[in-house]
Amino acid sequence: MRLLSLYAVAAYAFLHLPLLVLTVFSFNQSRFTQWEGFSLRWYTQALADSALREATVNSLLIGGAATLLATALGTLCAYGLWKKKAPRLTGMLYLSLMTPEIVTGVALLAFYQWLFHFLNLHLGMITVILAHVSFCLAYVVIVVMARLRTMDATLEEAALDLGANEFEAFYLVTLPQLLPAIVSAALLAFTISFDDFVITSMVAGVDSETLPMVMYATARRGVSPVLNAVSTIIVVGLGLLILISERLQTKT
Amino acid sequence: MNRRTLFFAGLTGLAGCSRSSQPRLNVYNWSNYIGPQTVAQFERQTGIHIRYGIFESSDELLAKALTGNCGWDVVFPTNHHVTPLREYNLLAPLDHSQLPNLRNLAPGFQSPEWDPQLTHSVPYMSTSAGIVYNRRQLGQLTRWADLWEPKVKGRMTMLDAQDDVLGACLVKLGHDWNATSEAQLRAAQREAIRQKPLLRAYLNAEVRDQVVAGDVLAAQMWTTTMLPVMTQAPQLDFIYPAEGFVRYAESAVILRESPRAEAAHRFIDFLLQPEVAAACVMAEKTGPVLAGVRELLPPELRDHPLLFPAPQDLARGVWLRTMPPTAQRLRDRLWTEIKSA
Amino acid sequence: MKRLRLYFLAPSALILAALFLIPLLIVAVYSLESRGAYGGVTPPFTAESYIRIFDPLYLKILWRSFWVAGVSTLVCLILGFPLALFISRAGARRGLYLQLVMLPFWTSFLIRTYAWMFLLRDTGLINTALLATGLLRDPLPLLYNDFAVILGLVYGFLPFMVLPLYTNLEKLDPALLEAAADLGARPLTALARVTLPLCRPGILAGSILVFIPCLGAYLTPDLMGGGKSIMIGTLVQNQFTTARDWPFGAALSLFLMALTLGLLYLASKRSSGEDLL
Repeated sequence: MRLLSLYAVAAYAFLHLPLLVLTVFSFNQSRFTQWEGFSLRWYTQALADSALREATVNSLLIGGAATLLATALGTLCAYGLWKKKAPRLTGMLYLSLMTPEIVTGVALLAFYQWLFHFLNLHLGMITVILAHVSFCLAYVVIVVMARLRTMDATLEEAALDLGANEFEAFYLVTLPQLLPAIVSAALLAFTISFDDFVITSMVAGVDSETLPMVMYATARRGVSPVLNAVSTIIVVGLGLLILISERLQTKT
Repeated sequence: MNRRTLFFAGLTGLAGCSRSSQPRLNVYNWSNYIGPQTVAQFERQTGIHIRYGIFESSDELLAKALTGNCGWDVVFPTNHHVTPLREYNLLAPLDHSQLPNLRNLAPGFQSPEWDPQLTHSVPYMSTSAGIVYNRRQLGQLTRWADLWEPKVKGRMTMLDAQDDVLGACLVKLGHDWNATSEAQLRAAQREAIRQKPLLRAYLNAEVRDQVVAGDVLAAQMWTTTMLPVMTQAPQLDFIYPAEGFVRYAESAVILRESPRAEAAHRFIDFLLQPEVAAACVMAEKTGPVLAGVRELLPPELRDHPLLFPAPQDLARGVWLRTMPPTAQRLRDRLWTEIKSA
Repeated sequence: MKRLRLYFLAPSALILAALFLIPLLIVAVYSLESRGAYGGVTPPFTAESYIRIFDPLYLKILWRSFWVAGVSTLVCLILGFPLALFISRAGARRGLYLQLVMLPFWTSFLIRTYAWMFLLRDTGLINTALLATGLLRDPLPLLYNDFAVILGLVYGFLPFMVLPLYTNLEKLDPALLEAAADLGARPLTALARVTLPLCRPGILAGSILVFIPCLGAYLTPDLMGGGKSIMIGTLVQNQFTTARDWPFGAALSLFLMALTLGLLYLASKRSSGEDLL
């Protein structure tokens, strides 16, 4: 176990090293990756940038909504598939994972255009959220399914024998056991949604630019410490949020 | 009808785009390609609210515009994308009577080769690509051929873009940058493969930091990318290679789908004022296309060779052209072969 | 049961049918048309794009992509398993540790990659440190090679391996391991004989979640590999952008998907007829 802890420290160092680097450079006076002294100038620039602010809000909204929907639907789906196989649906889920992003993006764009032929809609938040739900769904199903497959189906049968109906059996017996898997699935979905660029840039409209879109567009002219500052703010912000919710959970 | 495109390309924009009563305009441009106050100034002057979005590549812009319903009014494609947009009938014709400031265009931009009458596009900014290198370590470089010399081995990068790499190889061999002949393109490809062992990587703007830090001694790079850092890195020098180099012009166009042609014209005309253009140049260090801008710039920019190449340099520049489909396909194939070599 | 299936599966099926299957059909139609002069597609219908795939040039790229994705998946598994094991045994801290795995991934992919480029380059942190110790005279070539590409992919997709492994391990009954220990099994033996076999679903799920996106990755090979070699993801991306050859891009991706699906099918056959999902 000690060996394992040692390994974990190394693994977390590996995961967080780039994070550390960009945090350090977000406080750098110079705009290059050479240390010239401490400065908050990139933070003031980042906070003053209304496009960045707007894009961050958009990204959080889209990520939140897509995570909620994809996790809920994906969990139900995994449960349904666990109960009884549905090869066609399973195949679709796999295929959706396998499609290269650019292809999903172009195809969705074409599909939306065709749809708008009949509906008076345009590209915007809704189209982006729907796209994100569809590509996060398979990830959720796989993570939840990995858990379900290790579970004992007899527990539910016992509940049914004791007079619970199918929904009660799901809600009272299986769902609580699934909770850790649902949490990790939601984390994964949020992370994927929050970081997606290729598909989003295709289906985003005039009022739905996301943070990755702004970041890519800015970074193509050379990396800017402003982007490091934004990344740091977001990681620290979301990190604090997690810490607080963790505290609250352990207290209750 | 052989120009019929994707089955949705013919769709005109759908109605219902304007949501509020305040007049608005949706502008889609490259990142940071405008003065920090330009949009606010226009909004104050006209009362038109601008929704300003930024895109990552001109290809992305083209793909979205192809839908004919992307929601943007004024967009800024690079000059070689103007032709495809016009051929696909996606551009609104410009009404010159609403653009009195067109007269401010510098002589070199009044009749550009991709749109001689300016019927559908107006030049906005101009850039080019050459070689940035570490003069202290390499001595004076003058030609593309210098990037085939052993002294740059392992410390040199080219752009990760097929037109730029093939173009440099073509002019090195004495051919046209925009060549379409198969024999010439194949010769250029052999040149690129010959160069590969010397190459550190194919990189775009990401390489800038490494050029400044000294990891990379020579790089094919855009002027716009390098100009903001040249003063802080005196060891660096930028050249327009002797064999010739490529120029690009970002152009303002109005999409046919736009229901706000009048506001769009006003915005483009607004950008055509030397004072406005000068603010954009100062902020973004990109070459102006208007006469009278140079005088408005601070001295260190006024004579900067990356903004205003010397006439003898400029004479060697060629505009990037739209490739016909067969040449485009061949170029992509050759590029894939270069990468796989 | 009927009712259950309807309620539980219908929403996902609907979303996938509308937002995945129909768009996929559009792509299939694209792949059979001819290229438009400047992008898009145009009649007549032709199978030319599919015939073009069977060119040694493209097959070689395909092979290389499978190889790189396979190695990356294996490395992810080797690195991810102990980490997942650690988290699953961390008691009340489990949630926190899990979220610490995800934390770096809330920055943009591009920014993370730039950070790695800084760490690995000649004047970067790692080389500077190594040179300072005097162990090396010349900087190690850490960037712009296959090592860097695989490192970038492993870093980028490690969480995709850790999460399903964790959800699997977390469920394992500690009593099983205790029983193994009571019967005289050393910890490592218990791991190999008890834990690993019981982790099959997690390993399978994680491997799929890592392998597939690695196969289609395009920015990591371009930035970390310095664009010196090409992977299938970049090739597909190019067809929709610079090359403006949508039918070929569509055909390539459908071919890639068919190939991957076939591979998965074989894998599921091999694993004692067990389904993956």
